[in-house]
Amino acid sequence: MSSEHTANRRAFLNKAGSTAGLVGLTAMAGCADDEDDPGGDDDGGADVDATDPDDLGEQLPTYTYLNNAQSYNPPRHDAVNLISDRLENIGLDMEVEVLEWGTLFNRVDVEYDYDFSTWHTFFTIDPVLEFSSTMYSENTSPGDGNFAGYENPDADDLMDQYLVEPDADRRIELVHDLQQTLMEDLPQMPIVDMPFLAVFNNEKVTNWEPDLPLGFNSYWTMINLEMLDGEETLVGYWPEALDTMNPLGHNDENKHTYNFDIMYDSVVRLDNEGEINTDVSLATDFERVDEDTMEYTIRDHTFHDGEPLTVDDVVFSYNYIADNEVPLYSVQANFIDEAEAVDDETVRIHMEEPLGPFNLLVGTQIPILPEHRWADRDEPSQVNIEEPVGSGPLQFNYWDRGAEFGLERFDDHFAPVDFEERIWRIIPEASTVWEGLREGDITYETFGRIDRQLDENRDLDQITVLTEPATSYWHCTPNARTEGLDDPEVRKAAFNAVPRTPIVEQILFDVPEPGFNVVSAAFGPLHTDDVTRYDEDIDAGIQRLRDAGYVFDEDGMVHFPAE
Amino acid sequence: MSKASFVVRRVLQLGVTFWAVGTVLFFLFRLMPGDPTSFVVSAQMTPEARQRIIESFGLNDPLHVQYIAFLRNALTLDFGQSFHTNEPVRDVIWTFLPNTLVLMLTAFVIAYILGITLGVFTGWYRGTNFEKGTVVTALTARSVPTFYVGLIVLWIFGAGLGVIPMSGMGTSGMDGGWWSRIFTTTFLHHLLAPAAVLAFYYMGYPLLIMRSSMMEVLSQDFIDVCRAKGLRERTIMFKHAARNAMLPILTAAAIALGYAVGGSVLIETVFGWPGIGREMVRAVLRRDFPVAQGTFMVLAATIIILNFVADLLYGYLDPRVTYD
Repeated sequence: MSSEHTANRRAFLNKAGSTAGLVGLTAMAGCADDEDDPGGDDDGGADVDATDPDDLGEQLPTYTYLNNAQSYNPPRHDAVNLISDRLENIGLDMEVEVLEWGTLFNRVDVEYDYDFSTWHTFFTIDPVLEFSSTMYSENTSPGDGNFAGYENPDADDLMDQYLVEPDADRRIELVHDLQQTLMEDLPQMPIVDMPFLAVFNNEKVTNWEPDLPLGFNSYWTMINLEMLDGEETLVGYWPEALDTMNPLGHNDENKHTYNFDIMYDSVVRLDNEGEINTDVSLATDFERVDEDTMEYTIRDHTFHDGEPLTVDDVVFSYNYIADNEVPLYSVQANFIDEAEAVDDETVRIHMEEPLGPFNLLVGTQIPILPEHRWADRDEPSQVNIEEPVGSGPLQFNYWDRGAEFGLERFDDHFAPVDFEERIWRIIPEASTVWEGLREGDITYETFGRIDRQLDENRDLDQITVLTEPATSYWHCTPNARTEGLDDPEVRKAAFNAVPRTPIVEQILFDVPEPGFNVVSAAFGPLHTDDVTRYDEDIDAGIQRLRDAGYVFDEDGMVHFPAE
Repeated sequence: MSKASFVVRRVLQLGVTFWAVGTVLFFLFRLMPGDPTSFVVSAQMTPEARQRIIESFGLNDPLHVQYIAFLRNALTLDFGQSFHTNEPVRDVIWTFLPNTLVLMLTAFVIAYILGITLGVFTGWYRGTNFEKGTVVTALTARSVPTFYVGLIVLWIFGAGLGVIPMSGMGTSGMDGGWWSRIFTTTFLHHLLAPAAVLAFYYMGYPLLIMRSSMMEVLSQDFIDVCRAKGLRERTIMFKHAARNAMLPILTAAAIALGYAVGGSVLIETVFGWPGIGREMVRAVLRRDFPVAQGTFMVLAATIIILNFVADLLYGYLDPRVTYD
């Protein structure tokens, strides 16, 4: 074990809470004494030679790292404490403020009142779509999305070009340039690449194939699952109840997306290669007519209530969502001008402005609604729906609020599932879930929790754990509005200090991979390994600060140089 | 003061109390840090879409306008519409409250029957090993966290012996409405463990109160008179001593019953019971003001009304109590 890791482990033991404590105990055997632990000084401050006091300018301000409560997300809570400890080791004066999640999210995402923050980025189907909200220079006003406070016209230009570029190869070049720019400027540090997890009882079901952006809970996964030994029911769980049966009235949380995605068809679907696959899509063919027009050929199909699904329903869905400015699809709606039926099987969609990856960002997202059910609904996002009717491979069966949600196979679907029904039980207690998985009462672990129980059970014969790169990561985001953190060199030094490997090994049970790029490998060709990388090395961070002109006082705290 | 005047005065007080509770709740939730819309909106929504949601909730109105609307609606028991489910709060409460009531009332009845009975015996057999053992058990029951007991019960009887279900209120896809379900053996099977764990916890309170009350009553002269008259021990214990020792239990039971309406978040979580307690906490954490306000008002109203009923019963059960 390297001394760097030894130091990290000691810091971890000092800082981490009870959740990781047992794991930490195993690590303690390898810990050296305090004097051998250059990075483990709890009093903070870098272990450096002090600068002459006359050469010291103002000390960098005390930075507040907002942390979620331990009970909300134990591993992330521990990780933030550990990172904060390590940032002190390069001479930053840190304090951790623990907040209830809602308050924390509001402080960061709406008010921008923070210095460092960490959470799990959202699943997204396209990285630039996310960056165009969170990294775009114009979005730095409160509530506009750019909570990092990052401004770079070059990055904006790359995003703008990408979004209008119809050529896929050119888009790849642009997004490669963009991720290199972002990793050079470091408005956001990817701590850990969180994986898609498939955890299932292998005596019941097999053939798990992930897909963007929903991983092992995607449409592609469900239509490819193979049930074993005559099993007919796929049983999953979620720790809390669903909120609504309205496909236009939810808040995009996974628990809703995973269900509506399989109950409602979109015109096109992705396969496990991230490519549009018309064999399993409502559209049997598509064509870009010009830079701002797409045309789709719609197959014969029916809704769950037996009514035919026609091109008029497709036209209605697009126009209805755009005209009613449905908040959930506000991004997509911005790109939709109008949909029209060309003939009985062809739909043409005109864009408000050219959008290169239209299929990806819009075509795979907009649910096709039955016009005969929705035409009279004026407030689509606030409609209270008892029994949703879509056209996907699973149809609504029952919803026992707070207890269970049942879907059943739609036999007339063009891409049928192999099981008769899918049930989601609401089980808040994780140990109950694992007992169910071991016994086969629960078929798969839907939520994807990485915790000690996963570690303890993953080697059981009847349990299989699969991981694939996901599109999301734990980020550490410095607020560039804060003095000092507006300097990329300080951010880079901070990234040198972030103990990504110890977090993976000790807090996350070696399941994910340490992060190095804001565009995950899950995006396939959009991702590149060819970006600026940063060693996990306290000394490198300190040296980087020195090279940038910063100086250290006798306590090892970083100062601006004297005027 | 006559009983009628007392009732009128208390009813007026109840009105003021409800107003005070509602007002505190309204402002308390709005003083909480965090924007309620941040839980409703998608991260990828445009700022304009976010603003439309804020307006649709009426959260852009001045606070006094929101407050007046809240009071006006509360008078008709309309607590608005959930920010998250778009359902009327009344429907949310009616979905989850019955589940909680059936669990809590079952536990409550078991706990108070057992607790009062054991309290009578421990008071009667003061100084014996039986009393010591029972008191230690009661204190233990009140001291050990219910979720911990629940997990142990699940571990032993669910995962180990397989005699109780691990989670929920029934089996998958149970047919029929709520009323027909709760009279099935499947439901009772699911109810058994959480109700027993809760009853174990609740039992200690009436037991200890009853024991103290019994000891006080047993020291009074009329007990000696009963003995002098040659009454049987059991008759003195239950008919004379226990009956007179019951009054403090009444108030305790009224308050406990009121709290029972709020459910037990921990037990509902451990046993996956879809009750109002979990929903209430979720509403607070997600800043779903209408649901949080509605559920808390129901909880407060139950406690306030049951206290009032207990006051009235006091006078009925003990004629010496006056309404001055």
